[in-house]
Parts: sequence; structure tokens; C-alpha cells
Amino acid sequence: MVRTITLFIPCFVDQLLPQVGVDMITVLRRIGYEVDFPDEQTCCGQPAFNSGFWNEARLVAERFVRVFAQAETVICPSGSCTAMVRCFYPELLASSPLREDALALEKRVFEFSEFLVEVAKVTDVGSRFPHKVTYHDSCHLLRELHIKEQPRQLLRQVKGLELVELNHSEECCGFGGVFSVKFPEISGAMGEVKANHVEATGAEFVTACDPSCLLHIDGVLRRRQARARTIHLAGILAAQEGAET
Amino acid sequence: MSGDLLRQFHHHAREKAQDPAHRKTIRWAIDTYDAAVARGKTRFPDWEAARQRSYEIKWEAVNHLDRYLEEFEAKVIQRGGHVFWAADSGQARNYVLELARARGVKSVVKSKSMLTEEIALNPALEREGIKVWETDLGEFIVQLRHEPPYHIVTPAMHLSRGQVIDLFREKIPNDVIGDSHEELVAAARRALRREFFAADMGISGANFLVADTGMIAITTNEGNGRLCTSLPRIHVAFAGIEKVIPRLQDLATLWPVLATVGTGQHITAYSTLIGGPRTPQENDGPVEFHVVLLDNGRSRLLADSEQRDLLQCIRCGACLNACPVYRNIGGHAYGTVYQGPLGSVLTPALQGLAQYQHLSYASSLCGNCTSVCPVKIDLAHHLLHNRRNAVQEGDRPWRERLGMRLWRWAMMDRRRFQLAGRMGRALLRAFGGISVLKPWTESRELPPAPTMTFRERWRKNGAR
Amino acid sequence: MEHASQNPGAREEILSRVRAALKKTAQRREAIAPGPLFAPVANPLERFQAECAANFMETMLTPDSAATAAALQRVLASLPPGEIFLQDAPELRQLASAAAQGRSVRWSSAGAPAESSQATVSLCEALVAMTGSVLVSSAGCGGRGASVVAPCHIVVAHAVQLVLDLEAALARAGQIAFDNSYVGLISGSSRTADIEKRLIIGAHGPRRLVVIIEE
Repeated sequence: MVRTITLFIPCFVDQLLPQVGVDMITVLRRIGYEVDFPDEQTCCGQPAFNSGFWNEARLVAERFVRVFAQAETVICPSGSCTAMVRCFYPELLASSPLREDALALEKRVFEFSEFLVEVAKVTDVGSRFPHKVTYHDSCHLLRELHIKEQPRQLLRQVKGLELVELNHSEECCGFGGVFSVKFPEISGAMGEVKANHVEATGAEFVTACDPSCLLHIDGVLRRRQARARTIHLAGILAAQEGAET
Repeated sequence: MSGDLLRQFHHHAREKAQDPAHRKTIRWAIDTYDAAVARGKTRFPDWEAARQRSYEIKWEAVNHLDRYLEEFEAKVIQRGGHVFWAADSGQARNYVLELARARGVKSVVKSKSMLTEEIALNPALEREGIKVWETDLGEFIVQLRHEPPYHIVTPAMHLSRGQVIDLFREKIPNDVIGDSHEELVAAARRALRREFFAADMGISGANFLVADTGMIAITTNEGNGRLCTSLPRIHVAFAGIEKVIPRLQDLATLWPVLATVGTGQHITAYSTLIGGPRTPQENDGPVEFHVVLLDNGRSRLLADSEQRDLLQCIRCGACLNACPVYRNIGGHAYGTVYQGPLGSVLTPALQGLAQYQHLSYASSLCGNCTSVCPVKIDLAHHLLHNRRNAVQEGDRPWRERLGMRLWRWAMMDRRRFQLAGRMGRALLRAFGGISVLKPWTESRELPPAPTMTFRERWRKNGAR
Repeated sequence: MEHASQNPGAREEILSRVRAALKKTAQRREAIAPGPLFAPVANPLERFQAECAANFMETMLTPDSAATAAALQRVLASLPPGEIFLQDAPELRQLASAAAQGRSVRWSSAGAPAESSQATVSLCEALVAMTGSVLVSSAGCGGRGASVVAPCHIVVAHAVQLVLDLEAALARAGQIAFDNSYVGLISGSSRTADIEKRLIIGAHGPRRLVVIIEE
């Protein structure tokens, strides 16, 4: 039985949103797992891959595969980064000498909510978060990893949490990586639409399994000084006394 | 030049993305569509099986294109029709122009055909002094406004009833009696009915070319396609070479699938098959029938075995409606004949990646297009492939190439990565509003820069 | 008839490019087992009537030709004055003598329907239960205009002509395909939603479609 989880902390989570990683560890420890963090990790290669720079992406991806070669179970708090490894590495590394290792790694990488519900088989992780919360379905999580119910199952078990469905929850928030700065007028408009839907729910918090979406939505909400704030699913699950002020 | 197209795209995208009235109109139209399609899909016990079946029919057709095109051609000729193969837009236009000249054609009624937009047929006919009447109501409206179609299925999606009232009062004042939706449709009927009966030539597209019976298949709800192909003495049908399907029975799948994702209907009101000019036993109908088969870059796309499946597209419009970018910028901002995800992948394939690669980058890669396509074209993946191809062709700006090289340099070593991260966070803290970050900050606040990274917290106390 | 395909255009050029392109094989998704796309139709006649109603079509059931004639007369009487166009078929000749009194009548053997026709009357090739459709043809049903020119189209059909689904309808279409330059499925009145997505019945084709089904 798996007892030690290897952490895959996306590059921007390490640098900009470290709390997401900390919260994920809190939850994993609470339900009885040991965690390990291979310090050598940097990035999965997605920014270069999505921009079409597959040679650069391949080198970084191969490094990733080497860093995680010995890991038994890898967990990541980001749908898009998990999808990169599970769904896109096979194509990116199709002619790489590390192709077989990548295919093997694919089977051992999980997104955080998926791991809790499907592998650890828990939906109640002893959280308390007495707030009105709405959930955004991030694109790669939904359409590449087919994860839709699991985060909701986890949220429904959080004590005091009132979950309201977001209108057009499956519509892209507009981040899209480099798209957010290459086509800021479109990205911004998409963010506005998402923020409008969030505000319409009256929720205090919008949550998701992708920190990149939340970074973008948060930027839009704070620009308009909205009441709603963003929080990663791990942040809610880690909470036992409600939101920190 | 590609730079100009990109600048224009940014300009139009920004204009539309910041127009609340436009956003409201488009979203409402698409929400209506979504509800109708959701209802329509419940008729299928297994919608995924229907998609797979449609995919199989089109895959078979596209991957044996020469065989089915030859069969189709032979049957059309057997039935007294003409088949003209046009390598490019110019040849297609010239064929019709010469035919029109030879037959003394003065006016033409047209049923909707995106292909005729692609070859810019209307202006060519008009330069010859031939009057062209678009008869699909949406096409008629945008024609009166001197605009291209906004959407491949719903050409006037961006207009309100008020705008149509003003337009009709200006352009067809004698046919307008009232302001309601019904009366506007009645006005268009009145105006166009005269033209149906007076026209010398009817021009149509074709949703499918049926090889085993030598017939073209056209679907409309209005009946304009029927009148265009019944009343004038000459009928010319335009179709891309990829439109051929093997058998009549394939329509038992494709007609309901197209109708469902096109409008949410089980089947379109007029599902028409035309197999030639009138037979000697018939009392009416055109005496001449011509099919113009257009290549215009399709055979080149066929040769790209990775992107060949784009030719399976049945022009249903589902990907346009699914696309969050389309929902915000609308159809005209693309500046191309085909819009939305379809247009973003097809236009570079037909007209060159060098000029049109920006369309493949103007996407968040959300994948909704892939999930709705009834013939299982992985459009989002094709956008990614286009990006890869653009890089391989050395077409990306030098700043971007340099940036990616630096990125790779940083990511290949943990210490370099940490250094880059530290510098980035310092930049964020110190110079929040500088121009390099303006694309982000024009609509969003910057994320706060934490003092300790995750790995620093891990190293300190295991991130407890 | 002129020699067809006397100007085939770039035929050889295009076909050779296509053949060269297809030398490379493309990936193919795994096939699925064949099977029906839709649930089978349980009560065809009821289903047909329900689908027609949902599609703004009128259906009338009649037990015999006398009742059919009466039904036809009722429909015609409800229309504004003006010419009626009928398919020249023995059955319709008989019905018209009772039903079309006092109206000027034009038969398909004389040519196309007039622009001012108030109604067209035709037989059909089949009725389709699953979709509420009428299968018509040019040579078999009075010409192309017979099903689209007038504001009202009346179809005289028989219950035995009812088929279950699109497969059956297309099989019938396949049988008659080479004897007709036009074969079509009509499923509802003419309509459009091009203005603000508001559904309006009666665009260019008939606003009224009436199907009289004789047992």
C-alpha cells in the first residue's frame, strides 16, 4: 500500500503560490501519508510545448521523467500540469529514448483530487470551511483527465461548506498560459465573463484544481474589488477552522 | 504580411471583446443554441456512438477520395449533369462566368454556400452585371449590409431585430409591412419570391456529394434551397472535393447528426437530393445541372496525414458555438471566410501558415471544440500542431525564440531555475506596472510575490 | 442534350494530387460495432402524428377515399381564393373532381405550378414515422415545385406508405433515385430562426403542410 507520496509541485506554484503545495501536504499527512519532494524538479515543459517549441519542451520533459523515475506515486495540485505528463508526454516523447519511462510514469501520476477519491478512496479529509463556495471546472482537468465529480465529492464533505454550482462552470476562464499575455484583450474578456458568473453566485470563494486558473481569476476579481476570493481546493481541504483572514 | 493581419486581428478582437452589447447578443444566441442541442442529443441513446459512426463514414470517404469522386462524377454525367473540376478559386469563378455569359444569365438566386464565399463568387458575378440574390435569410441580411457572414450556420447572429428593421426599411421598403419577427420574415419572403421566379440561374452549395447515386445533398429549413434548385433553368452546385460520401444510406447517420449539432433538430425541414437536370418525364426543374468541384488547397491538406481529418468537417458550426474565444470576439474579428476553431485550423492549411498562424495562437486550448465536433476532429490538437509547425518553419518572432531558449536554459538546472524565479519575483514586487507586464495588468491585478518559495519552506521544516 | 463533361477542367491534375496524397496513410480510430443510432419506433402511426405535430405539420386520418376527398375539400375551402396545382395522377384526378369545385385547377402534366398557386396537392413516396417526414420525388410526385411553391402543400398518402426510420426512407429513395432528378425529405413547415434565434414558421417554402393519411 502506498504510504509515501512524491510531490510534483508546478514551477509557478513553487515560485508564486507555495501555499498550495503546503496545503496539499497538510491534507496528505492528515490522512496518513508521508510525503517526499525531489528537489531537482523544475518544470514539466508545458509552456514551451503549448507555444510550439517542442524541441525545448522535449529536453525539459526528459529531465522531468528522469527526476521522477524512482517515484512510486506522484501527486500534482494542477490539472493542466498533470495532463501534460499523462496526456501529452506520449506524443512529445514519441521518439525519445525515454519514451518507455514516460509511458510508465504516466500510470503513476495523479492530480490531487483524483488521488484522494480514486486511490486513497477518501472523500472526507476532516476539513471545516464554513463559507459559500463555487467551483470552476478547469479545462485540462475536465477534458483531458475527465475529472469532474471528484472535486465536488470532496467539497460536499467539508463541514459547514455551502457548495453552489457556477453557471457555465465548464467555460474556459481565459488563462491559457502564454495566451493570457499574447492575446490579453481576449483573455481579459474571458476572465471578466468568468468573474461575472462567480459574482452572480454570491459565493465568498471560488475554487478549482488549477492554480493557474485561480491566478487569473483572482487578478480579475481583485481588479474589480469583488467580494469573492479565490482559493485552491487544497486550501479548503487543509482548513480546519475556516478561512484565515 | 502576417504582421498586418495580426495587428488587424488584435484591433478587431479588442473592439468586440470590449463591447458589452455584442457580448450579450452572441452569448444569448449561443445559449439558445446550447439548450436546443442538449435537447436534441437526448434523442440519441448513445451520442458518442453517433459521433463515432459519423467519423467512420467521413474517414472512409476522405481516405478513399479519388475512388468516391470518380464514382460520383460518373453517375452525375450518366444522369445528364456536368462536372467541372476547379483547381483554384479563379478556375471555379471563370467556369460559372463563362456559363452565365453563354446562357445570357442576368440574375442569380443563391442558396447558402460557404464555398462561394471562399472563392469570392458574388463580386465576380456582379462585376459582369449579373444581379445576385442571397436567399437564406441570414445571408440576405448580411448581403444587404455589405458584410461577410458572421457565422457559418447563422450568418446574422450578431444583429438585433431593431437593426434588421432599419435595414429592411432602407433596402426593401416596399416589401416591409410591420416590425415583428414574423413580418420581417414575410418581408424577406416577398422581396425574394419575385427573384426566385425571375432568376435565370440558381447557385447552391452541397452538404454532401453522394457517390453511389450521383446526387448532391442540400439541407435548409427555409425552403430557399428548394426554390433555387427548382425554378431557374440552370442550377450550378459548388462543393469542395472533400464533401463526397460513399452511399445514400450514410445520410441516415449524417443528416440527423448534422441537424442536431447545427440547430438541435432531429432533421432539417428540407433534406434535398438532386441528381441532374429534369428528366424527360418531369414537368419542371432546371434543364441544366452543373457541379463544380473545388480543390483550392484541399489536396495539399489531404497530403498532410496528421491534419487530413480536417477534411472530414461537415460545416455544422458546433465548434464556433463551443469556443469561448468566438463567444467574446464574434465571427468578423477573425477576418477570414471560416471562423472559430474550424477557421483557425483550416485557413492556415489552405492559405498558408506563414500568414495565418496567429489564429492558432489566439486560443487558450480549452479543448471544447474537440469535445463537441460530431466527426471527432481533434481541433485543439491541430491548433497545437500548427504552433509546432510554425516554430519548425522558423516563423516565430526572434524575441519569442530567444525567450524559449532562456526558459529552457533555466529549467534544465535547479539552481538556474531558482535564480530565475528569484529575479522574477523581485521584478513583480518592485515594478508592478512596467510595460513588459502591461498585457497582464491591463485587465488583472498582479499576483502577490511570496517571500518564501515552496522549496524554501520544504527545506526549512518539511513545509509543516 | 449537349455532350456532358465536355470541359472537365483540372480533373487529371486534381485526381493525381489526391492519389499521391493518399499514398500516406492516416491514423484511424478503432471502429465500433454497427447498431441502430436511435431507439426503435414502437407505434409508427402515432409516432408519425406526434412528430408532425411537433413540427407544425397537420395530419388527418381518413378511412376511405370518400373521406379523403372530404378532407381535401375542407382544407381547400379554408384557403384564400386562387389556383390549385395538382400532381396529375389517377387518384388525384378522382379526388379533385369532388374536392376542387369552384377552383381553377392546374395539372402537373401542363407544366410547373404558377407563382400565385394557393396550394399544391401531391402524392408521396413514403411517410417516415421516426422523424415525421414526407418523402417526395420529382417524377413521382408532380415535379419539384409541387412541394415548395405554394403557401400550402397537401400530401395525399396511404398508411401502407409509412416506414419506420431514415434507413427505410433512404432505401426507398435509393430505389427511385435514378428515375427522379429530385428526391427529398420534407419534415415540417418552412421556418427560420435567423433573426435573434426566434423561430418563425413560413419562410420561403410552404407555411402549411397537411398530410392526409388514408387507411
